[in-house]
Formats: sequence, structure tokens, C-alpha cells
Amino acid sequence: METIVELENVTKEFKGFSIKNMNLQVKQGFVTGFIGENGAGKSTTIKLMMNLLKPDSGKVKLFGLDYNQHEKEIKERIGFVYDGNVFFEGLNLRDIKRIVAPAYKRWDDELFYRYVEQFHLPLNKAIKTFSKGMQMKASLAIALSHNAELIIMDEPTAGLDPIFRRELLELLQELMVDGKRTIFFSTHITTDLDRIADYIAYIHDGELVFNQSMEEIADHFALVKGGLDLLDRDTEKSFIHVHRASTGFEALTNNIEEVNELFGDSVVIERASLEDIMYYMKGGIQHV
Amino acid sequence: MFNLIRRDLIIQKYHILIFIPFILFFIIMNSHPALIFLVASIFIPFNTFGYDEKVKTNILLNSLPYTRNEIIASRYIGAIVYMLLSIGLTSLALYLFNKPFTITDIAIGCSLFLLFVAFTFPLFYVLKPGHITTVVLISFIILAGIGPPIVMFLAEHLTAITRFINALSMTEIYIAGTVIVMVAYSLSWGLTTFIYQRKAF
Repeated sequence: METIVELENVTKEFKGFSIKNMNLQVKQGFVTGFIGENGAGKSTTIKLMMNLLKPDSGKVKLFGLDYNQHEKEIKERIGFVYDGNVFFEGLNLRDIKRIVAPAYKRWDDELFYRYVEQFHLPLNKAIKTFSKGMQMKASLAIALSHNAELIIMDEPTAGLDPIFRRELLELLQELMVDGKRTIFFSTHITTDLDRIADYIAYIHDGELVFNQSMEEIADHFALVKGGLDLLDRDTEKSFIHVHRASTGFEALTNNIEEVNELFGDSVVIERASLEDIMYYMKGGIQHV
Repeated sequence: MFNLIRRDLIIQKYHILIFIPFILFFIIMNSHPALIFLVASIFIPFNTFGYDEKVKTNILLNSLPYTRNEIIASRYIGAIVYMLLSIGLTSLALYLFNKPFTITDIAIGCSLFLLFVAFTFPLFYVLKPGHITTVVLISFIILAGIGPPIVMFLAEHLTAITRFINALSMTEIYIAGTVIVMVAYSLSWGLTTFIYQRKAF
């Protein structure tokens, strides 16, 4: 399995925030969802991937290439969508295309107009008159029109209505059909990922907590519910975090087997959603 | 890179409509031809900066397959290209209005423009976005206001320099001027590239 994006021991310091020793691999042909709370470092990581930021230490490689020597080749192969409009607000989509298209060797005008039609985008209206959803569609049409192998998106679904969100996810699924494309996108709407993601990378406070396939996550993590009398210092070790209420406890585990052995039928084991995992792991992995 | 230069025209296609009356205003006001060449040249490159001050534009340009060196090079080469175009248009306008002008006027206008670019372009990448255009405009006005008196003062008091300059032939002065402008422009280009390479977006 080819690695398309590779971050090796990447560290980037800011005042009051840093990305610490990040090791992240994004696999070719899959959709990787990048989750984490606001301010966890999702956008910073994406900027490091796009070479908008340079790491203080560590290596960033895309397609096995280094930005120092192959900046243009790398960016030629990436389609990008950012949170918010990065295009000149006063211009219409036709003019923006005039500026962006010549930058890419593999730009496909026909494909662009097909997306414009599919998304019902007006070509002659200034971008600033577009709704958030339309701006997003416009960015997407541009990102998809030069046959990019890797599509990087920062919060593409934020601020979109549920219907367009679902359309977008369907479109992304269609794009994945040929198996060569790779999509990496950050979001904090975890239900989007249940639908399309193959891998989930979870970042917390500048550190990558895990990067696993959906199956691995389903196999490893579970929500455990039971009576408070079951908890003691030893049994609690099987959990990442325990939430106590007067009616009983609810806890997240990443070791289902151990929990099964320990508690048997006295607890209820449920599938943990990504949201559960994020919620319980916000303190990081630390066995109680 | 040519695309990056052409981009200025696409962004400013409506501004260009103001360009003609803008020059005409100076012509009708009977401004000095060298000054007209100067302000005409400033028009397009500095308008683009008004747009590019927004951080988002840098995010866009840097996400496209361009290197940072190319983005800065397009600025410096673009400034010369648009200067030449503006001089062409201005000359035509002056000719149509029957205003006499000389090659010296063009040379002075060009040199001042290139020096102005050399001093201000790096500022656009050092100062905080949002304030730059204001700073540059104010400094332009101040320089235009206090520049000539300072030169006069120096000319009167540093007679050694004045005598030295007077002793030079016209050709020598032209050559010296050209060299100074070229050196300042190249240094500025290098400095801006250095700053831009290290910028985070």
C-alpha cells in the first residue's frame, strides 16, 4: 500500500500551541478523515502538508517527494479546498478559472464546466455573492478539474446544510471509484466520516492519538456500561476514561477482550461512535 | 510565471477603466511629464497589492503549483512590464494632448518608479496586512513633500558632492543613475524573496 502523505517526526511550535513529533501516513486510494477538537492542530497539519507552513523539525513528504526540490510537481497533483473562500472575492467564477487554470498542466476545461453545471454554479456572478455552500462548491469544482491524485480539504462540510453535505459526500465517493485517488479531509462533524472514511486520524492537542482504519477502530474501541459496584482500582485499568453517574458508569475501552474477560455479562458493551471516542479521549490516552 | 503577471490584469479589469481618466487628470492639470510617468506606472502594480494584502490570496497562490521564488519574481518582473505598458499609454495620451515630453522625462519617471518599488515592495511582506497600503501612500506623500527640500539642502551644504556631480558629464550621470536603480531593484528583489521564503500563511 503506497503512502501518499508522510509526516515524519514533524514539530512546529507557535506561541501557546505546538504540533509535537507528529508521525502521520496517508494511504493511497483511501479516504482519511482527520478529526480533533477546535484548536487541536488540524488546520496547522494541513498547512504543513501544503507547505504553507514549514516544520521546525521533521520531514514532510508527498508522493514520496520533498517540497524543497519538487514543490511544483507536488502541488500539480493536489486539489485543495479550504475552510472559507480563498479566491478573489470580487471576481466571478469564469475569471477565477482564468487565473487558476493556467497554473496546472493537467487542467481540464471540459471537466470544469461539467462540475459547474452539476453544481448549478453561475459563471458571471462575483464570488462574494455566493452562499457558503456555493463557495464551497466553487472551490470543489476548481479542486477537481485538474485530475488531482490527492485531494486535501480543511473542514469542507462546516457550515453546509445537511442536504448539500450528503451530496458532497456522495460526490467524494464517486471520485474514489477508480481507486487511485486519495482524499484527506478534516472535520469535526464525525457522522460525515461514518459514511465515507476508510481511515481516521485523530489529533488531540497537537499530538496524533491514532490513525486507524474504521474496522480497527470498531474492533478496538467500545463503550461499556454497567453498575458502579463493578468499578474498583483494578477493573478501571481496562478503561481509557470512566464517566460515573448515580445510575451507573459509562466508559470507553480500547481493549474489548479484556473487558469481556473481566466483566462477562455483567456489563453492556456497545459500539463506540467516533464522537464517543473523541469525547472520552479528550484527556488523551491515560488509563484511569 | 507569465500567468501570475497576467493575473493582475484579470483582477483589475475594471480598475483599468479608471486608468485613462486618471492619467488625463494629471495631463489636464499640466503636471510635469516625469511625474505623470511615475504615477501612471504605480497604478497597476500597487493596486494588485491592495488585493494581495489579504492573507487568503497568499494561501491561494502558495497552494497552486508555483514556488515562492516565482511569486516574488512575478511581482518584480510584472512591475517592469506594467511600467512599460503605462509609459506607452501615457506617451500616447501626452502626444494626443499635444503636451511635449522628452526621453529624460521618461527616464526620470522610470527611475523614480523603480526606486519606489525597491523601497516599498519588501514592506508589503514585513508589515501587518491591512496597514500597508496606508503606510505606503502616506510615505509616498511625505517623501514627495520633504524629498526635494532635503535634496536642495544637501546640494547647498554638501558642496563637495554637488561639485562632484556637476563635474560629471550627462552620460556619466545617466550611467550612474541606471546602475544605482538596478542595484537597488535587485537588492530589493533578493530581500523580498528572502522574507517571503520564511513567511507562514
